[in-house]
Order: sequence, then structure tokens, then C-alpha cells
Amino acid sequence: MGVMSKLYAYLYLRGFKVWISYRTQAALTMLSWVLPVFTYYFTGTALGNKLVSGLGTGNYTSFMVIGLAFQGYVSSTIATVSQRLRNEQLYGTLEYYVLSPSGILGFLVYSSIWGFALNSINAAVILAVGAALGVRFSPSGILVSSVILALLLLSTFGIAAMSGAVVMVTKQGNPISFFFSTFTTLMGGVVFPVTILPPYLRYVSYAIPLTWALEGLRGALLYGEGIAQLLPVVAVLAAFAGVTVPLGLFSYRVAFDRARRDGTLSQY
Amino acid sequence: MIETRSLVKVFRGRRWTVEALRGVDFTAPRGSITALVGPNGAGKTTLLKVISTLILPTSGEAYVDGMDVVSRAKDVRRVIGLVTVSDRLLYYRLSGVDNLTFYGMLYGMPTSYARARARDLLELVGLGEWGEEPVMHYSTGMMRRLAIARALMHDPDVILLDEPTLGIDAASSRRIHRLLGELSSGRTIVLTSHLMKEVEELAGSIYVMRAGRIVARGTAEEIKAMVGRIVEAGLKPEAVDEGLLKFVVRSEPGLVIVRAPEDIIPESAVYVRDVEPTLEDAYVILAGEGGADLRPYQFRRGGAHAHGGHV
Repeated sequence: MGVMSKLYAYLYLRGFKVWISYRTQAALTMLSWVLPVFTYYFTGTALGNKLVSGLGTGNYTSFMVIGLAFQGYVSSTIATVSQRLRNEQLYGTLEYYVLSPSGILGFLVYSSIWGFALNSINAAVILAVGAALGVRFSPSGILVSSVILALLLLSTFGIAAMSGAVVMVTKQGNPISFFFSTFTTLMGGVVFPVTILPPYLRYVSYAIPLTWALEGLRGALLYGEGIAQLLPVVAVLAAFAGVTVPLGLFSYRVAFDRARRDGTLSQY
Repeated sequence: MIETRSLVKVFRGRRWTVEALRGVDFTAPRGSITALVGPNGAGKTTLLKVISTLILPTSGEAYVDGMDVVSRAKDVRRVIGLVTVSDRLLYYRLSGVDNLTFYGMLYGMPTSYARARARDLLELVGLGEWGEEPVMHYSTGMMRRLAIARALMHDPDVILLDEPTLGIDAASSRRIHRLLGELSSGRTIVLTSHLMKEVEELAGSIYVMRAGRIVARGTAEEIKAMVGRIVEAGLKPEAVDEGLLKFVVRSEPGLVIVRAPEDIIPESAVYVRDVEPTLEDAYVILAGEGGADLRPYQFRRGGAHAHGGHV
């Protein structure tokens, strides 16, 4: 009952009801989910799918549809948590989360779930547009891709916690959010394969969970690869989660303790 | 009940240090309202936030219903309701009912119970008819009442209010006063205020703070009695020096009227007459204008320490 009522509170009341009350913003957000698909679709078409596929993408439309559908889970969730914290500081409501039994951990978990929920709609819309553009998904890959997605979400949750910790200290200017939001699109293999990056940048791209997750998701959803073939990807993602979640929770807790010591909880 | 002993809070920045609380002994009994008064920066808000576990004390002890605010912070949070000072504090796009329901659910209330409690509390604070309206349509006074209702959602034993009537009109203030009077039965209520009439009307006991210290405590009558003899004097404007400015109560053509201890009234006064001291007179004398004590750091090898402070 506690979890359900908190999901209702965070996802429906504070999440959906506030989000949809800004109708223009909501409409523009939905538009922003779909437009990049067409942008890259026509880019691929204009350059010639054969040429682009020669870079190692296979079918380019399928490649970028998977990339765009799932990259939002990382960038948007991290941005959602840090922006949420900043908003609550501005509203003067952050202290009330600290006081409630749900606490700052509840705030982090349920704010992340809102980010995940919104991006699930985003992903579903992009995958549907992809299907309309001729992308064929492999039903046998759904189970493995669920495992990969769950691990991606876990590691993203850890990074979001670290990002929240930084916001509690710096208030504005968040290198973690910047790196994982901006760089994931550039270096996570979202719309082009990381193999075309210069070697030193390719190594950086391997430090991003999304790079591995997209490789696994493409293998599962486009080529029907099973858990045995994708075990290395799953192992790497599990390792990411094993590092980012404890590190994120620890830094988040330390940042709030520091804010209580310095009296800066409500400062922005 | 709230009790603090020798409570100290020092805020340290890179180049400054603020001794916000300097050994505060404070007690607020159950069943009455206790007021904290003092100039801006005197430490009132810091004291409320230490009691409510939002700020960690540097040293000393603080207890809420016998529970230590540091070691039993989670238990303390369950029994306190807090109303802070802020322009917002609420989700403007949500209705009053949704705002209260949301906070009720953070306290683990089932949806239906939280909604019912939200409606009851909106009735209590006189916002029953506004419950379904988005908060952005509320006046400042209505928002303050809604913030008080939110603090009551989990039925706390202890209510802490930082300037509950700040910036709101007289009618709304009276409504809040009546509400606080009703709530004080069986609860511990602490409020901060700059309005001495409000404090005198509501508070059973008053603590006057200045520069992080308690400089006076007692009932309104006891605090008035502390300042002894007060006079009202009419002075020529040129006779009002820096030291008298805080005692000015009004001006008349060619005359400045002050209420102050007799020994600081200049001999050039046009008239002097005895008056009964009000709480505001006593407050001005006791609290003065002493806000936070901001001191520069003196850097030295091995760390920094406060210049002349007793950190």
C-alpha cells in the first residue's frame, strides 16, 4: 500500500498532473520525441542507406531508432532528478521531503521512476514510428532486452543520485548531468556507431553504460540474439550498476548531510 | 515539549564564520504557544531548523518530546509539523486538496484517507470552498493557511511556524491567530514573529533573541517589567541622534516622538511624560538591532579559526 500510494503521489499528482498542466510544453515535448526520428531517417536516406550501413550500422533506420528510443532513459532521467532537486529548492519544498518518513531516498527513487515512466512513453512512441518506417523487431529479443534495460536503468539511477549530490553542493552547474546528458548522445553510439570515433574517444564511450546497453538492445531487438550471445554486455552493465548505485547513494547521502551541517538545504 | 541546552550552531564559509546560536537554553511546554522574537539574523530560524532536524547543531543538546534531534532525527520528524518562510512552499499547478494529499501520502497515508484528511483540514483553515482550485489562484494569506494545513496533515504534536503571518492582511492574520489558539490545546507550538501585538495575543511565554543568544524570557508582562521606567518624549528633529533612531514611534510637524528609557532622553526634549511600557518598547530595548555576528576568518597553518569567537 505504501509503495502504491507513493507511486500515485509522485507519478500522478506531482508528475503527470503538473506536467500536463503545462499543455504547450507537453505538446512540444511529445513533438521532440518524434522529430529526431524523421531527421535521422531522411539523413540516412539522403546519404544513401548503403553508404551509411557500410559504417557498420546494419540497416541505418533500425540502428538509429533503437538509439533514439533508449538514449532518453539516461539523459532525461539524470536531468529529471537534478532539475527536480533544483526546483524543490526554488519552491522551498525540499525541506518537507527531508522531514517526511519517505525522506530523501524516497524523493530520489520516485523522481527517477517518473523519469523512467516518461521515457518509456517516449521509447514506445519512437519504436512505433520506427515500425511505421519499416523497422522489424525480433519478438524473441524482448526478454533479453528487458534485462538489459533494467540494468541500464539501475546504473542510470546511480548516476542520477550522483548528479543529485552535485546539485546539492553546487546548486547550478552540474558536470555529471552535462557529461551523461550531452555526451551520451554524442558518444554512446546513439545515431552512429562508436567504431567511427577516434580511438581515445572510443575508450571514453566505453565508460558510458548506454554504449553497452544499445549494443545489447540492438542485438536483441533487431537480430534476436539471446542471453548467451549478449552475456558480455549484461556482465558489463551489471558491473556498471554495481559501481554507480552504491557510489550514487553514498554521495547523495553525504551531500544531504553536508547541507544539514552547513544549513544550505533550502539555499539555491 | 521542546528543550534545548547550551545549543550552539556555527556556520562556516571560506572567508567567514557566523555564530548563529551561542549557547541557547530554550523550553517550550506542551499546551501553549511559545514565541521567539528578535531582529533579523538573531538566530530564530536557525533555532527552529535545528529543533526540526533540518540543521545539525555544532554542540549542545536539543530534545523534542524527550527525543534527541540528532540521534533520533527520524522519530522527531514524525511528531513535528513545520511551516517555513518562503514565497512558494506549495505546488502552484495542483489544487489545495492535491497538495495536501501529496504530502499526506509522503507520510504513508492511503489515498482515500489522505484526501479525506485534506478536505477536513481545508475546512479547518477556512479554505473548504477553494479545495479544488489550483493554488496559483490563492491569495498570499490563503497560501499561508494552506501551508499550515499541510503541517497538520500527519497530526503532529509539535508545530513550528516561522513568521506565519508574514506579508498577509489583518483579516487573514486574525484567522490564523484563532486557528493557532485552537491548535495549541494539547500541542507544543513555537512561532517566530516580528509583530509584538501578535506575540502578546498568542504566546504564553516569549523568548527574546539577540545575536544568537537568549537575552530575555518570560510572559509578556514579565518582559515589559524587565525594562523599568519608560518615557515618551517629543524631540526636535536635530536632537535625534543615531542612538535614538530605533526608539522613534512617530513624527509630528517639527517634532519627533520617541519612547525610550529616561536616561537616554536629551535635556533639550520639548516634553517628557511617563508611559506604561508596551511589549514593543521592551523588545526594542532588549533586542535592539543586533543581528548575526559575522566575523572574518583568520587563516593559519593547519586550518582556520574564528577571529575572537568562541567556536
